[in-house]
Parts: sequence; structure tokens; C-alpha cells
Amino acid sequence: MSTDTDNRHSVTGSDARRTPRRNARFPLGVNYYPLDSEASGWEQWYAGDVEGDFARFEAAGMTLVRIFISWKLFEPQVDRYSEQATERLRDIVDAAAAHGLRLIVCFFADDRHAELLDVSWGRDRDPRTDAYLIERECALVRHIVAEHRSDRAVFAWELGNEAFWCGFASGDELEAWAAALREAVREVDPDRPVMCAFDPETLFHESRVDGRRALGECEIVVSHPTMRYRTYAAEGPVTSPGSTHLDSFLLRAVGTRRPVLLDDVGAGTLEASHGEEAAALRCALYSGLMNGASGALVRRWRDMATERRKPYFIDPYEAIVGLSDTEGHPKPAMRVLREFAGVLGHLDLRTYSLTPERVAVLIPSERRSPLPALASLYSPRSCLEAYVRVKEAHVPVTLAHEEEPFDPFAVLIVPSVTDLAGGTWERLTSWVKGGGSLVFSYGGGEFGSEARELFGVDFLGHGGARARATCRVAQQDLLGQLEPFDVPADIPHFALLGAGTSTVVATDSAGSPLLTLNRFGQGRAVCVAAPLERVLGQSGLRTPPAEVQSFLRTLYGAVAGVTGCGPLVSCDAPEVEVALFAGEDDDVLFLLNHADRSLTANVGFVVPVATVTDIRGGSPAVVGGSSFGAPLEPHGVMVLRLCYA
Amino acid sequence: MIERSEQVRLAESLARQGRIAPAVTACYQALRVNERDPLAHCLLGGLMLAEGFCEQAARSAARAIELDQRCAAAYFVLGLAYDRMGGLWDRSVLVWQQLAEVVPDLAAAHVQLGEALAAASFADEAIDAWERALQIDPREPRAMYHLAMAALKREGMATALPGFRKAGELDPSQDDFFFALAGYDAEGLSAAAMSDIGPGIKSQLRAAHAFAANDELFKSSELIRSILDGHSDDVAALSLMAYLYLKQESVNEAMACSLRALTISTKTPTAVYALGAAFARRPALAAHASKLFSALTTMAPGQAMPHVLHAESLLGLQRYSAAGAAYRSALALDPGCVRALFGQAAVALTAGDHTAAAWAIRRAAYHDTRRRGYFWGPYDAAAEGGEQ
Repeated sequence: MSTDTDNRHSVTGSDARRTPRRNARFPLGVNYYPLDSEASGWEQWYAGDVEGDFARFEAAGMTLVRIFISWKLFEPQVDRYSEQATERLRDIVDAAAAHGLRLIVCFFADDRHAELLDVSWGRDRDPRTDAYLIERECALVRHIVAEHRSDRAVFAWELGNEAFWCGFASGDELEAWAAALREAVREVDPDRPVMCAFDPETLFHESRVDGRRALGECEIVVSHPTMRYRTYAAEGPVTSPGSTHLDSFLLRAVGTRRPVLLDDVGAGTLEASHGEEAAALRCALYSGLMNGASGALVRRWRDMATERRKPYFIDPYEAIVGLSDTEGHPKPAMRVLREFAGVLGHLDLRTYSLTPERVAVLIPSERRSPLPALASLYSPRSCLEAYVRVKEAHVPVTLAHEEEPFDPFAVLIVPSVTDLAGGTWERLTSWVKGGGSLVFSYGGGEFGSEARELFGVDFLGHGGARARATCRVAQQDLLGQLEPFDVPADIPHFALLGAGTSTVVATDSAGSPLLTLNRFGQGRAVCVAAPLERVLGQSGLRTPPAEVQSFLRTLYGAVAGVTGCGPLVSCDAPEVEVALFAGEDDDVLFLLNHADRSLTANVGFVVPVATVTDIRGGSPAVVGGSSFGAPLEPHGVMVLRLCYA
Repeated sequence: MIERSEQVRLAESLARQGRIAPAVTACYQALRVNERDPLAHCLLGGLMLAEGFCEQAARSAARAIELDQRCAAAYFVLGLAYDRMGGLWDRSVLVWQQLAEVVPDLAAAHVQLGEALAAASFADEAIDAWERALQIDPREPRAMYHLAMAALKREGMATALPGFRKAGELDPSQDDFFFALAGYDAEGLSAAAMSDIGPGIKSQLRAAHAFAANDELFKSSELIRSILDGHSDDVAALSLMAYLYLKQESVNEAMACSLRALTISTKTPTAVYALGAAFARRPALAAHASKLFSALTTMAPGQAMPHVLHAESLLGLQRYSAAGAAYRSALALDPGCVRALFGQAAVALTAGDHTAAAWAIRRAAYHDTRRRGYFWGPYDAAAEGGEQ
């Protein structure tokens, strides 16, 4: 994804500091909300200092800004567009162009502060399904696109924000609305990207509407955790390890075929301190870049001036926390953004690229199954746990949906699954036979004949729930250096397995297989008899057992290793996320500490490293060996250019 | 009394066995039969909450309340779900206020109300709610912990420490620990032990411990005195006597008994505990208490409580980082130790880490709610039509 903004240095406005060089291939930007205060009325739509704000965006190294159209302001009477609003938008576009910024124009945003959609003549009709209102919406879109179709400052047209999308009652209605509005844009502007700014996972969680088909026609897609989804998937402070991985998890869950914009980055509640806001932003931005994001938009520029109260998430999409306070004074998060922009400015994404991931965590289709099947609620937590554990093993990993082809991957992790869709076992069998390595953990339900054959085990029945997780290692070093453990844990299911043709690698306290390995065709099929990822994912306010985390980390790392998909860079600190951008003559190494404590990560390479240099400049440090230690602050990051000997 | 359908009974049975998924399915079946069954909605909410699916729990509980506005269990589920979802403090406060109206003498409702008010930054109102909870039930430890935390935030550790000690004394886990040190489990101290007193000293000692465990302090004292009349050097009896004195605020007598026991045998953990607890009641003797509790950690390995007691004595000595380490040791042994979690929150506050403190308090509240089984009591009362 490119914004075609020139790479340049500039000194702008009152902020006389040197502006970071901007990276056209990774647009960095911010949501620019129409109002900065709860006390402001809807008619004050972008009535503030837009020119000054845009100058500040430029100074911070940004290239992209999302603005929100007010239908209420643009069309006060049916079919009569406000000249004042049209001129105001013209001024905004011109100001953006003057500062080298490009705009994402969002047409229909549900924003309870700015009341953008409440056209008085709408008479309580639903703007999502009412044919007349949809017609008026299409007309508004055509009007605005026609005004600005030749403006280079417009980067993309966005049909609606997620708060708007989650008002749809069904996927069909959502798809029909998106198709109608997209057609309206295309009638006037056939080329510019059209976006639907919802994350399919968070939208499904909020409304249980599957919007993925509507994304099929979009040139750019977005990912973002809402505050409610964060509480559901990774309960705890925003800087807790599960939470800091959540942005990249959702980014990966969207898919990799199209550019994914990391959206709404940063803390969303006033509960976090300024330091925690900065740490959360740093983790999200860097892990986004390290996981293949094509750009990033920060949640908000300036804090909303609210009454003195805690935020209430009656509106789960409320965005009130920005990079600067209500007076415009920069918060620590602003420094993080500038630093990130500085790093981006020195990273040429035409030269350096991430190695394609060959390990994937499978998101089962039971995620979309209706209640009372609880698998749909367990599944995201289990997948997140598996994803984090693979990350801790420093193995490059992505997410795949069950219905997608398995061929691009060498290792598939199927965490705590109750049931797979019809035909999936057959596909998995064929894939393993062809050389794939499968790690499957039993999540309850039946163990069909295909599964029994694949794993080389006999299914003797369901062993019921247990209050302790126990592991006795039977075959040391066969699947990594597993450690025995016996810890309290709520194990909801345990498959009683007979060894059959498989090798029992570990057992429970009674000798029943816990972990088996079966050579099948050219590949390997590993079975864990209990849903350990779910145990971790369901820990919530309880403390997850560290021994189980370590077990899974070791297992995943070992399977990836024997399949030839192990870490590109070894690291002795599980909390540190590692990403290697490979270049022609040198590489760029990213190290991100997800822990809230300082540590030194010892990283090792296959090839001896001659020198390392901070990507932003400075003198090269001589290494002259295949490993070195990198000191990292809590939630700190290090970006190094590596020159090999 | 609310008529329970067969499907609801099945769901209840499955839920009590911890078989959540089939219980949820049974609830859905019950709702297919009768969508207006408040118990089915309430139970479904409780199950969803148990699995941490707060939005679904809130939806079901709200529907249950809509159908039966006196269903206390549904208020519990709804309030707890809002609390866990975060940011819905205004709704949460409303739910706890309604529960306090439905069941006016329920201390837990006021404790929860206080927590919601504190989270919404209404500190004074929160203190009022916790004080009200203590008026209803003076033995409510969680309210006392919160009042101590509030004192810590406002006036510092010196003012808060007596509150923490008092909360610790009210916390049933400390008594359980003493009896565990004495070698008795809960079953060994049942009513049978009190009624069936044999002539042997072993039987009498068990009965004395049983009386003590059931708050029959005078009966226990009488029995111990009769034992000591014949066996004045019995360290177990002396230790129990010290414990009984402590329960009656007679600290000097407790010290005397436990010291006597320790002069006979220095390896009596109950005596070490009683002497440490007695020293801990005297701020000037906090250093001695700390040494004794430190010794107790090695005498009772694998137990979280000695580490907690050690940590609390370290708080009294203003050695906060050491106290934090001791709390961490306790939580490593028992991650659900409510007292250690509150203590950890206090240590975090002394370091100015409000986020960590708030998280520790939320976890403490969660584990306290879980160990007390707040859902099933009101649910059973609603199902049987009895007093809630």
C-alpha cells in the first residue's frame, strides 16, 4: 500500500524539530474526528484548526488522515446539499494536500458525539436497509466523489466505520448495502480504492454478522481490536502480554491477500496511564509492522474533552483517547509515534521484506457456528493463545481459516477444536501425507476414524473434566525439551487414547497418552489429548499456568524446527517478539519486548554478524560472532541493521 | 416458588458437575420450551459468566430480571458481567443498588456496589457502601480489605495497616490455616467431633478444635482447660489456648500460652503461628512477628498463608518490596489467594502503580466471589422460593 507521498525532510509550523522522513510504502496516519469536546454540537463539524492540526500531523511524520463526512450537515434537506459543508470539505482536502497528507474519506460513520448520520428528514428509517435512504446515501456519495475525483489528496473512499456496520442484522443486508454504495463510488471514480472499515472478527463478535463476503471487493481491508473485544479475548491491562499481541493477531486473522491497514491503534480507555498508553501504542505499531501491516492509523489525535468520569463503553466504538491531551500538549504516546515514523523513514520496504510464514494457526469454521455451541466463543481465545505461544517460540507464524487452502503452510496448529467442517479431515490427511506437520489438540467431541488413522491412535472415550494438568515425559527430546509438570488447572476434556501406531511422547499421571507423534506419509501428526490452549485462554482473571504455556511453546517450536520452519533468529527471551526483514546485502532485525520488565535478549544467527547499527543511524557496533545481547526496556523496541561477515 | 422445568433441572445438574457445554445446551432447550423461564435465563447467564463470556451473560441475566425482578442470582450475574466487561460502571452501580433493594440484608451486594462506585471514581460513596456492608455483616472481610485500601490511598500505610490486619482476621482462610497446621481438615472438625467426645486426650483435643472452628470459643476453652489440668505440657492444647485467647483479643495471654508451648517444643507450628499472630497485633513487635512467620514458611512448605502473614508483617516494617516478594511467593503456591492479591494491590499502590493495584483488586474480588459461591445460594433460594 503506497500513499505516493514524497520522502522528504521538512521543518513545519511552530514545531521546529526535524520532521521524520516519511515512508510512502507504509502510510502512517490518524483518525481525525470532527469534534474535540463532548460539549460541541454537531454543526461544529471540523470547525477547529484543521490547517494547524494537519501541520502537526506532517511534523509527526504522518501521511494519512481519516476524516468523517457528516451526512446531517451535507444534506440538511432532501437532495439539497449544503454549500457551506461542501466548501468546508474542499478546504480540508486542500489543507491535506498542502501538507503532503492523503485522506481516507469515510462517508457513513456512526459517531454518537458528532451525530453524523441523523438526517432530520430520515424519520427514524434505518439507513442500512431502507431503500429510499440507501438511494439518498448513494446520491451523497456520488456528489462528494464527483467533487473530489481528481484530487490526489484523496487516498481512498471508505463506506462506513465499524460502529455503522455493526448495525446490520445479517450478512446479506450488509453485503447488499456495501455493493450499492460501492457501485455509487465506481460510477464516478473507477480507480481509487474503496474500503469497508470493519474488522470481520470484531464485527462478528459484536453483532454475530459475518461480513467477510463484503470485504471481497475491497482493495484495502482493516483490522482493529475494539475495547470490548480486547476485554473478551485478552482480559487485563492493555500492556499485558495477551493484549499487546492482539493487534497483530487480528491483523493476521484478516488474511494476507490484500493490504491490511492496522486501524485504531493505541489505548482506548482513560483507565490506562499516559505511560501505559505509550507502551500499548508502541507494541501495536511495531508488532503491526513486524507482522505485515501495510499501514497504520492511530485511534485519535487529541483527547476528547469529556466530563470528569470514567469512559462508559455503552458505545464500544467510542474513541476518546488521543496522542495529545485536551489542551493539545503531546502525551508520551506522541513521542512513540514520532520514533516509529523515524524508524519507518529509514526502512525501505522495496528492499527489505518479511519471509513468508510457513506456520499457521488454524481458525476453525466452528468460530462462526451459532449458540449454544460454545466452541464459537472458545475458539478465538484458543487461537490467540496458540498464536502467542508460537510467537514466544520465535517462529514466524500467521493465521489461516479452515476453508482456505493448506498448501502454503508446512506446519498447521489446530488448537482445542471441538469439530472440524466436513471434508477438512480429508484435506488435512492429504496435506500431512504430502509432508505437512499437524499439531492438533482435542477440544471435546468425537474422534472420527479419519482422525484416528491420521494420528495413529485409538480413541477409548472421553475422560471427563480434570482439576489438574499433569505431564510425564516419556520420550525426551523427541518433540523438544519438554518439562514434566503437575499444576492445578481446569481441564474441561481429556481424550483417552490408545497408543496404536503412534509414539507416546508424554502421558498424564495415570499413563494415558497426553502427547503423541505419528509419522504419516511424508509428514507428522501430533495430537495433544487435552485442550491446553483453551485452558490458557479461559484463565481470564485467574493466573494461567506457566508450565502449560512453556509446554506449548516448546512443542510448537520443536514441530516447526523439525519441519524446517524454525526460528530464523534464535532468542532466549520468550517475551521478545522477533522479526527479520531480509534484504539483499543486509537484513533489518526488529526486537519488541512484550514484558513489563527490562531484559537482555540474546539473539543468535546462523551466519556470523559483522556489525549492527541502529536503523536510524549512528556508528556500527562490531559483533564479530553469531550472537549478541540486546538490552530492552519494558515494552521497549530495538531495530538493528545487520551486516554479515 | 418458581416451577422448574425438566430441562432446567437437567441444566442445573450438569452445571453443578461443571459440565458447562451440555448445561448451556440444556438451558437453550429449556428456553425453547418456555422462553419466559427466568431460571433458565438466569442459569444460562451464570454459565456464560463462569466461562468469561460476559456479554452473553449480561444479555441472559437482563432477560431473567425482566421476567422476575426479585431474582437475586440474576442481579449477581448481571453486575459481575458488567464489572468484568469494564467501563459500564454506571450500569453496574445501578444493578448493585437494585440488588441491595431486593435483598436489603445482603452484605455482598453492598461490597459489590462499593467496588463499582470505586471503579467509577466515586470514592466517598464507595466507602459508605463498604461501611454499610460491615454494618450488615461485621465479619465481611472483603469490605474491610477495601476500606483498608481506601485508607492506604488517602492516608498511607500507617493508617491502613490495622484495617489489613482486621481484614486478615476476618478472612476465614487464616483460621483454616491454623487448623490445618494442627493437623485437622474440615471434615475432622464437623459437628460429630463436638458431640462424640471420648475419654482420650486425642478425642478431646479434636473436639476442642472442632468447637473452636465452629466459634464455640467458651466450650473449647473449657475443654482445653480440663486437658491442661491433666497434661500441662501438652503443646497442642497450649497452642489452641493461645489461638482462643487471640480470638478474644487477649494478646498477652496468647503470647504467654504460645511461649510456654515453644519452651516445651520449638517445633510446634501452631505455637509459632499463634506467637507470630500475637506479635503482629503489637506494632512495636512487627519485626519479631516477621521472623516467626518467616520461620513458619519453612515449617509449612507448600502453604501460601505463612508467606501472606510474613508479607503483612513486612508491610508493618515498611519493607514494601520484600512484602511484594512474599506475596508473589504466596500467589505462586495459591494463585487464588484473596488475601495475597489484596496485599499485592497494597504493595502496588505504595509503588504508585495504580493499574497493577486495580488489576490485583479485580482478581481478588473475582476469587473471593468464586470461593464463596455467590451464584448458587441466591439461585437455589429463587428456585425453592425461600428467603434470598
